[in-house]
Amino acid sequence: MDKTRKGLAATVAFTLAIAVSHYASAESITVVNQGGSPGDAQKVAVFDPFTEETGIEILVDTYNQELAKIRAQVETGNLIWDVASVHSLNDAIGCDEGLLEPIDWAEHIDESKFEAVGGFTDCGAPYLVSPGALVYDADRWQGDMVPRSWADFWNVEKWPGKRALPFQPDQVLEIALMSDGVAPRDVPKVLAAPGGVDRAFAQLEKIKPHVLWWKSGDESMQLLLTNEVVMGYGWQGRVNVANRSSGRNLKIVWEAGYTSAVIYLAVMAGSPKVEQAIELVKYSLEAQSQARYAEIMGYPPANVDSYAMLSDENRANQPTEYLDRGMMQAGSLYIGFWRDNGDSIRQRFSTFTAR
Amino acid sequence: MSATTTFAETGQVPRRLRTLVRRAERQHLTKMLALMAPSVVFVALLFVVPIALFLFRSVDNVEIPKYLPNTVAEIGQWHEGELPPEGVYRALTEDLIALKGEPEAAVLGRRLNYSVPGFRGLVTRTVRQLPDTVPASARELLAGIDERWLDPVYWATLKQQSGRITDFYLLSAMDLKRGADGAITQVDETQAVFLSLYGRTLYTSVGVTVICLLIGYPVAAVMASAGPAAANWLLMLVLVPFWTSLLVRTTAWVVLLQTEGLVNKILIYLGIINEPLSLMFNTAGVFIAMVHVLLPYMILPLYSVMKGVSPVHLRAASSLGAPPVTVFRTVYLPLTIPGIAAGCTLVFVLSVGFYVTPALVGGPSDQMIGYFIAYFTNSAVNWGLASALGAFLILVIAVIYLVLGKVVGFDKLRVR
Amino acid sequence: MQNFRRRAGRGSLWQLALRVFVGLVLAYLVLPILVVIPLSFTAGQLLVFPIPGYSLQWYEDFFTNPLWTGALWNSVMIGVATTILATILGTLAALGLHGSKFRLKPVVVALLITPLAAPVVIVAVATFYFFASINLVGTYLGVILAHTLLALPFVVITVTATLQGFDTNLTRAGASLGATPVHVFRTVTLPIISPGIISGALFAFVTSFDEIVVALFVASPQQRTLPRQIFSGVSESISPTIMAAAVVLLVISLGLMIVMELLRRRSERLVGRAR
Repeated sequence: MDKTRKGLAATVAFTLAIAVSHYASAESITVVNQGGSPGDAQKVAVFDPFTEETGIEILVDTYNQELAKIRAQVETGNLIWDVASVHSLNDAIGCDEGLLEPIDWAEHIDESKFEAVGGFTDCGAPYLVSPGALVYDADRWQGDMVPRSWADFWNVEKWPGKRALPFQPDQVLEIALMSDGVAPRDVPKVLAAPGGVDRAFAQLEKIKPHVLWWKSGDESMQLLLTNEVVMGYGWQGRVNVANRSSGRNLKIVWEAGYTSAVIYLAVMAGSPKVEQAIELVKYSLEAQSQARYAEIMGYPPANVDSYAMLSDENRANQPTEYLDRGMMQAGSLYIGFWRDNGDSIRQRFSTFTAR
Repeated sequence: MSATTTFAETGQVPRRLRTLVRRAERQHLTKMLALMAPSVVFVALLFVVPIALFLFRSVDNVEIPKYLPNTVAEIGQWHEGELPPEGVYRALTEDLIALKGEPEAAVLGRRLNYSVPGFRGLVTRTVRQLPDTVPASARELLAGIDERWLDPVYWATLKQQSGRITDFYLLSAMDLKRGADGAITQVDETQAVFLSLYGRTLYTSVGVTVICLLIGYPVAAVMASAGPAAANWLLMLVLVPFWTSLLVRTTAWVVLLQTEGLVNKILIYLGIINEPLSLMFNTAGVFIAMVHVLLPYMILPLYSVMKGVSPVHLRAASSLGAPPVTVFRTVYLPLTIPGIAAGCTLVFVLSVGFYVTPALVGGPSDQMIGYFIAYFTNSAVNWGLASALGAFLILVIAVIYLVLGKVVGFDKLRVR
Repeated sequence: MQNFRRRAGRGSLWQLALRVFVGLVLAYLVLPILVVIPLSFTAGQLLVFPIPGYSLQWYEDFFTNPLWTGALWNSVMIGVATTILATILGTLAALGLHGSKFRLKPVVVALLITPLAAPVVIVAVATFYFFASINLVGTYLGVILAHTLLALPFVVITVTATLQGFDTNLTRAGASLGATPVHVFRTVTLPIISPGIISGALFAFVTSFDEIVVALFVASPQQRTLPRQIFSGVSESISPTIMAAAVVLLVISLGLMIVMELLRRRSERLVGRAR
């Protein structure tokens, strides 16, 4: 009998331990981001100094922009996250569907510093800009053989071999239009107009046999570093990390035209810690935090004041001279187009690549 | 004593004794059922109910009747080939005004957008621009906001999807849709994803099963014919991967198969190839890793059946002068068919539902049905379609279990 | 005579080829797993061969980084809770099934076994939807309940298998001597079926400890388990710390496998002696 009682006590104690650990950290907020090296950089550049300054602890979770995870939490009122890092499409959908908290950011932050990246939305504060562009190995291609445009990317006679593109239609359709002579600024308009999608797919059809599709940023760089592809589409931050860790000389062709994804910080609807969450967002968008982050990741800062704080080496890597060649993946036309047509384009893209 | 006499005389158990025995049996059964009850309730609550709810989502059509109650009531008045009557326009306008400023408008838009791309934008835009009251002509109002409200496609969708139950998701999962006239047609060629997805899933699963059988059969046969000590060691070697976490094994393959990975290095060192092969992120990688993960599930049931095959049969056959090939074909192979069936079922059923391994080693075009279920659940948030895909997967597996269960008997189909 | 020898010779060549083949297959099964061990001790940053030098830095990282230690602790805690729950439920059910006959018994057996036969991704998604509606997503209880569901069939199967060799007359004898059912269970039934219960419990623990798909859907950062932590690392970029984590996972599951094997042999010996 004594043994049974002991076992019972142990079980009860165990259950209690689980219950208690649930409420252990009261002064904390949970942030969800994309993880990986950008996540690590965010911790060092933003979260750790924030905790030091305010005493508020930051728990970090990672997700792959799965909107369902936000939806499940908000609809059941069972919030695990307080602040979510969302891409522009999820920001728009989440805000519309009441999953993210509408916040008057102008009350807290000087919005004028963020006009260049498309500004604030009803729910989201822009904290990260991630450009994606044409990348090549500068030790391999020199002089006349340096690619200069997306048309060159499509030129399989001059550069025979495979090219690396992401396995996702957004970004790929956009650069397909650029290769067809559409100016980056006009891409959203052309894409959303009748026939725009067909034009982009027709363009993709031309190089499809020469494409290796990648699923992760890491893979995109591996393909370039191992010379499996002659050139590729890659994200700026990844290029910097790849060059630094492998001592290679990958270069970005800004003048060809590039896309810029904008990532927002948004507060989960109904979060009991709105105050602290806003504090964190404010802190993340401060010029110093933005500069620290940009210094580690090599992404351009979203806050225009941060440029002055960057090292010369870092500033040299930024597309400062080619701002007009960038296409922001934001704005109501662009977001509205992908929100309404995203599912059917993704299906079309998936049959297109499989055939 | 008297009971025995009575029994002997009448050939019947006395009624009292019979009742006592029955009561004792009933009590015993009640006790045993009470022991089972917690597990049965647990599985019913945490498995049967969730799966049933999951499957119900594939026909569930809650949004449209819930958010457009007036429209659903009125739309029956509309007939194809003409514009809807004013009453229908008015009903829709009233419904949409009620959604003004509510997140439900976006939820409704999302649902309608599954059926017609662009419907979401139409709904949200209309809701934003509606006045607070319905004017004299609702039709003019809506057409003024967006002239797509004069296009019958949108009305046909509202009419078809007005019920509480819909076949929309199940049809979509078969690359089918209902046309404006309600007839079932194929979706546009560029949108047809799922039939080829089933094809790929079946092709991969059958391929993995066949490879597992071809290389697992000899291994199991050698294990079964080895001495007890050797058999124990061989069994341990088969059990090592079996007990190793799926994730550890998949990780190992990711490391091995990379372009700069060990496999390529060894092949180049041995002079078999000059250029590194791309083994990752393609079909080859998926096969190599999946066969590795599933092979023990083939070997173990084969081994347990082969161990039961008496060598006497084989010796008898060969002593009658049959060549080894004939002995194998006419005696050994037929005796091991239950093992083959059990192993193949296990491997096939497990591989049809695979998700983690193809997600990590496979390329974008190697993803199987499990990946798409996860994708529509998590990223696209189209839970109806995820459920419809899941329903087909469950159907395939249930059919296989039933067929093979009849052939082999369910008790042989157990995992591990 | 000559003919016979030639046939025998061909036979042994055939035997040799078969053995080589089996050796290759077993190498294919085991070697890839072993690859993670040397890589986890690398002194370099990259996962390449030849290994530049050996160090324990990645283990140090694993055992000091709160992300990994937290994941390990979560895995152990969830595993233990799952084991307790599944073992109790499964053993009771197996005892009930063994001691009774009724028309619906095959249905009950099938019901208790099917969680094993259903594709995990379906179980995970269905559980996710269901738990989302009852506030269990992202809770320890949710993960433990889902893992218990997956582990329960193993306990039922192993304990039922042990009970099949168990003579029910022994409990009747005990009862007829005036012992209470609880007393009979503790002094007669339990010692005999305990190897079955222990191996069921081990199965349950390993099922939970290695589980990834349900954890991906149902767990949140607080319940981040070791496999989930490895998964997010692998799909991002593989660091040698992941190899160290994989080795820890490997050592624990293989340790349990050896315990299981020893148990099996012991009970085989016991059965043999009883005969």
